[in-house]
Amino acid sequence: MNEKVADVHASRFGAWLDHHGYSIVASLGRLLRKPWATLLTIGVMAIALALPLGLWVVLGNVARLGGEVQASRDVAVFLKPAVAPAAAAALADTLRARGDVAAVEVVTPEAALAQLRAQPDIAAAIDALGADAARAALPSVLRVVPRGDERLLADALRTLPEADRVQHDAVWRERLDAWLRFGGRVVLVLAALLGLGALLVVGNTVRLDIQSRREEIGVLQLLGASDGFVRRPFLYLGAWYGLAAGGLALGVLTLAWMGLHAPLAELAARYGSDFALRGLDPLQAGGVLLGAGLLGWLGAGLVTGHYLRQTRPGKG
Amino acid sequence: MTVLRFDNVSKQYPGGHAALAGVSFAVEAGEMLFVTGHSGAGKSTLLRLIQLAERPSRGAVLFGERNLAKVRGGGIARHRRGLGVVYQDHQLLMDRSVAENVALPLVLRGMKRAEIGKRVRVLLERLGLGARERALPSQLSAGEQQRVGIARAVIAEPAMLIADEPTGNLDPTLSAEIMALFASLPERGTSVLVASHDLGLVRRMRKRVLVLDHGQLADDIAPEDLADE
Repeated sequence: MNEKVADVHASRFGAWLDHHGYSIVASLGRLLRKPWATLLTIGVMAIALALPLGLWVVLGNVARLGGEVQASRDVAVFLKPAVAPAAAAALADTLRARGDVAAVEVVTPEAALAQLRAQPDIAAAIDALGADAARAALPSVLRVVPRGDERLLADALRTLPEADRVQHDAVWRERLDAWLRFGGRVVLVLAALLGLGALLVVGNTVRLDIQSRREEIGVLQLLGASDGFVRRPFLYLGAWYGLAAGGLALGVLTLAWMGLHAPLAELAARYGSDFALRGLDPLQAGGVLLGAGLLGWLGAGLVTGHYLRQTRPGKG
Repeated sequence: MTVLRFDNVSKQYPGGHAALAGVSFAVEAGEMLFVTGHSGAGKSTLLRLIQLAERPSRGAVLFGERNLAKVRGGGIARHRRGLGVVYQDHQLLMDRSVAENVALPLVLRGMKRAEIGKRVRVLLERLGLGARERALPSQLSAGEQQRVGIARAVIAEPAMLIADEPTGNLDPTLSAEIMALFASLPERGTSVLVASHDLGLVRRMRKRVLVLDHGQLADDIAPEDLADE
């Protein structure tokens, strides 16, 4: 008796697997039978996916660029011209004793001049001006690395009598961060809207497919097909659309990356940076494919579910 | 044992048209009967209520012990899997072969592929369709298509077979063959209910006849009384 029950279960599971196999093949067949319609649907979905993805990639690169330009949270204190290097060194020692200071580097006019000379264009200007005049124009600078709230430290440093000007780059960084947060939110809103658009595109395509196979579905239902049996091929259809659109969107982004990578690297090199445009890593690309497939599956599921509810016998 | 019972069943469509009004009858296990009446008498509505394609406005339809009014969700599909249905227009899936069409009820029941193949071949041979196993329905004659529809309806040995004008498009010889096949099903425990307006055919079969007239059960004629009607 138990063997019989197990046999029935195994048989049902086998039939269930069989139908999945059939649904996969049948849904792929439906896509391939109408290549142009399929391409159009996939193209529209791919653009809807590529736009927020592209913006996300750009924001990621801007954030990285911001990090490279200002990785530290240094506060630069430009001392008054009258402050001699020895006095600057003494002031640095005083600052190092503070609890909110992690480190202090003294950049003497001599060192600043050497850094400037490393840049060929500026080296020519220094030569034209004369090294002594250039050195005299440069103040000593203390590069202070904060150990806590750098804003409070910057305010405190501004009160130093030796300080001519305090440059707190964290302000710039905070502004960039605020822009990036805003950009991130824009990407989310855009992704939600365009994701909804992609969902509707799949839904509408599957709805049309359901309409064209209404009679077949009706026959299957009258023969006793469960909702799952009817729904399955359409779910696979939606998933294929999503996967193909995700793949195409990744392809579009890769093409954009190939077009922009070299000129941007060249531009960065002119500013002395080795910054390179970064696309999506394999894990992220896999996530995009999975998400797009699920989006298609969901769109198809919603439409098929709605159709199946409509075909149930009414109250009489 | 009663397989099907209509208990004072009425069906009214939106707009007020009464397709059935206070219809009551019962079908026993292994019984074959006909439902006849003019076009619009309510035959198709009656069949649709049995298939749970619609629900009655009043009264109860009981299939075995089950009140179909209470069947919801997955229960609807399960109920339909217990029926075999033959349609006048065959309702075959045109993009699937004869064998695939006939196999569908078994696929829906989750039977093993090997067992399905065996059963389909045996039945198609019995119905003279063995050589057409791989053909598409569009490659068959109307008579062959109807036989495929019948094969699909009986392959899972349902508790009840319902047929809506099953011989409507067929010549008399083929009609008689199909009726003979239907008449053999009660021996295997399957009840058969055939809706037909072909009174000649109904008389020849000498089975119980329900006569519908404007949605009402006008007569319930026993086989022995048929010759006198």
